[in-house]
Amino acid sequence: MSIRVLKAGLQTTLQGAPFSGHRHIGMPAAGAADSLSLALANYLVGKPCGEIAIEITLAEAIFEIDQPSSIAVVGAALYVRINGEDQPHHQTLHLKAGDKLHIGPSRPGCRTYLAISGEIHADRLLGGRSTYLAAGLGGFHGRALKDQDVIALSDISSTKKVERTTPPTLRLRYSDDHVLRVTAGPETDEPHNGILADMCLRPYAIGARANRMGMALEGVPLHTSEASNMPSAAVFPGTIQLPPSGEPYLLGADAQTTGGYPRIAQVIRADRHLIGQLGSGSRVQFVHTTAERATEIYREKISLLSPWLGQINLW
Amino acid sequence: MADYDPEMHICDDWISITMPDRETILAAQVAFTACNHWTEIVPGLNSIAVQFDPVEMSPDEAATIVRDQLGGAALASEPSPIMTTIPVCYDKELAPDLDYAASKLGIKADALPSWHQSHTQTVAMLGFMPGFAYLESPEPCPTIGRLAKPRQLVKAGSIGIIGQQSCVYSFDSPGGWPIIGRTPLRLFDPEKAEPALLSAGQAVRFESISREEFESWPRADEE
Repeated sequence: MSIRVLKAGLQTTLQGAPFSGHRHIGMPAAGAADSLSLALANYLVGKPCGEIAIEITLAEAIFEIDQPSSIAVVGAALYVRINGEDQPHHQTLHLKAGDKLHIGPSRPGCRTYLAISGEIHADRLLGGRSTYLAAGLGGFHGRALKDQDVIALSDISSTKKVERTTPPTLRLRYSDDHVLRVTAGPETDEPHNGILADMCLRPYAIGARANRMGMALEGVPLHTSEASNMPSAAVFPGTIQLPPSGEPYLLGADAQTTGGYPRIAQVIRADRHLIGQLGSGSRVQFVHTTAERATEIYREKISLLSPWLGQINLW
Repeated sequence: MADYDPEMHICDDWISITMPDRETILAAQVAFTACNHWTEIVPGLNSIAVQFDPVEMSPDEAATIVRDQLGGAALASEPSPIMTTIPVCYDKELAPDLDYAASKLGIKADALPSWHQSHTQTVAMLGFMPGFAYLESPEPCPTIGRLAKPRQLVKAGSIGIIGQQSCVYSFDSPGGWPIIGRTPLRLFDPEKAEPALLSAGQAVRFESISREEFESWPRADEE
């Protein structure tokens, strides 16, 4: 049993839960760039939130499964079609053998998740199965899918069948304009005071080379001091660095584990899944909050989601 | 470390702690690893960071645990790092910046391999890529600096040097450090119980091998 990629699109990868506990040996998180959309999609096919699904970026992708399957699509895709007929997002759908599944381009937003009832075969390492592209590890041979790739699926006959529709109140609003809340970073007061306030003054545009590793934030450059390099220190997805250019750089799911630029801010955990919906040309407004408030917001979000999704963890 | 009052910065789910020296970082890493509070423990060059689940603990609670664990951390009285020998081929085809690095150091290119093998280095930290190691030499030397234009492709195993600091590339990747040799060892093997060949605090010395030895070095990752 398998799924065939008829059209892979711009960057389509197998992604689920991130790698965890290996940053000290340089292994990044990887995993779904938008952890909430992944969780919602997996739930619609009866799977735990961190299971492997197919992450589709910006462009249209087309698939065909050789066995009857349940699937669900959650994300920024303009349309979902089975054999040319429009289907709803956020709902369990059923494919017959040989049906063609079209997942439209992201408009607005950046990424879409295709969950499938059968277990998607993915390379396992360090307790994870997500794709880490830069080192060619995990997922489908460590790389993005190509046209005509065939991905093995486990038999679904043992999987319990579900018919689910995401409650309207839990659906994300896919947009090209986002507000992300940030706490101060360890070097917020170096190069100088007030840099976080300056960063929160007006929105930034996401630069052209945005990818899973990170993205340049284009706007009024922030003032930097001479000492804009520092001894390498830990960075995480959602860390905002300030290189000498004064143009902040926002790190994504595939962020390297350490960096040598001042860490001026950190996108709070509750908002971090939205980074996965930022693509080139999106706009983002940062709003300052405290670590204490960030924790409250995250706990509120988890308690809002858990009656529907059960045990849920965002990253 | 009982009297040590660490300088900390708390983000919503991670804490960066400024550290006075390498020994303290390693002692802190051991103390943090000994419990199961932290989802990540990441040493830097003069800091260490821990990440936690904000459902499990608040930032204040996490900071209190960090203070307690640092208070109980014992500095190794006599550091006895494990010595790892890394074979390096200094053939110019594998070492495109050998001449450049030698001129910056004020020595002849022929003399660079023996200079490079003459002192033991310490792994400061891993980062950049899985298994990528930053090394520090105890011996002061002239600054070499990074290449003006980074390479699009540096081969896995390449040894880069910018002065007292050097590095070992673990995967083919872009890179800006001048390259003075290449090791046939695999720096990262996810199939192994310890996937990274090197770890922070480890002592490393380099040993010259010929091009023939480099080419015929047994590689576990090849059929």
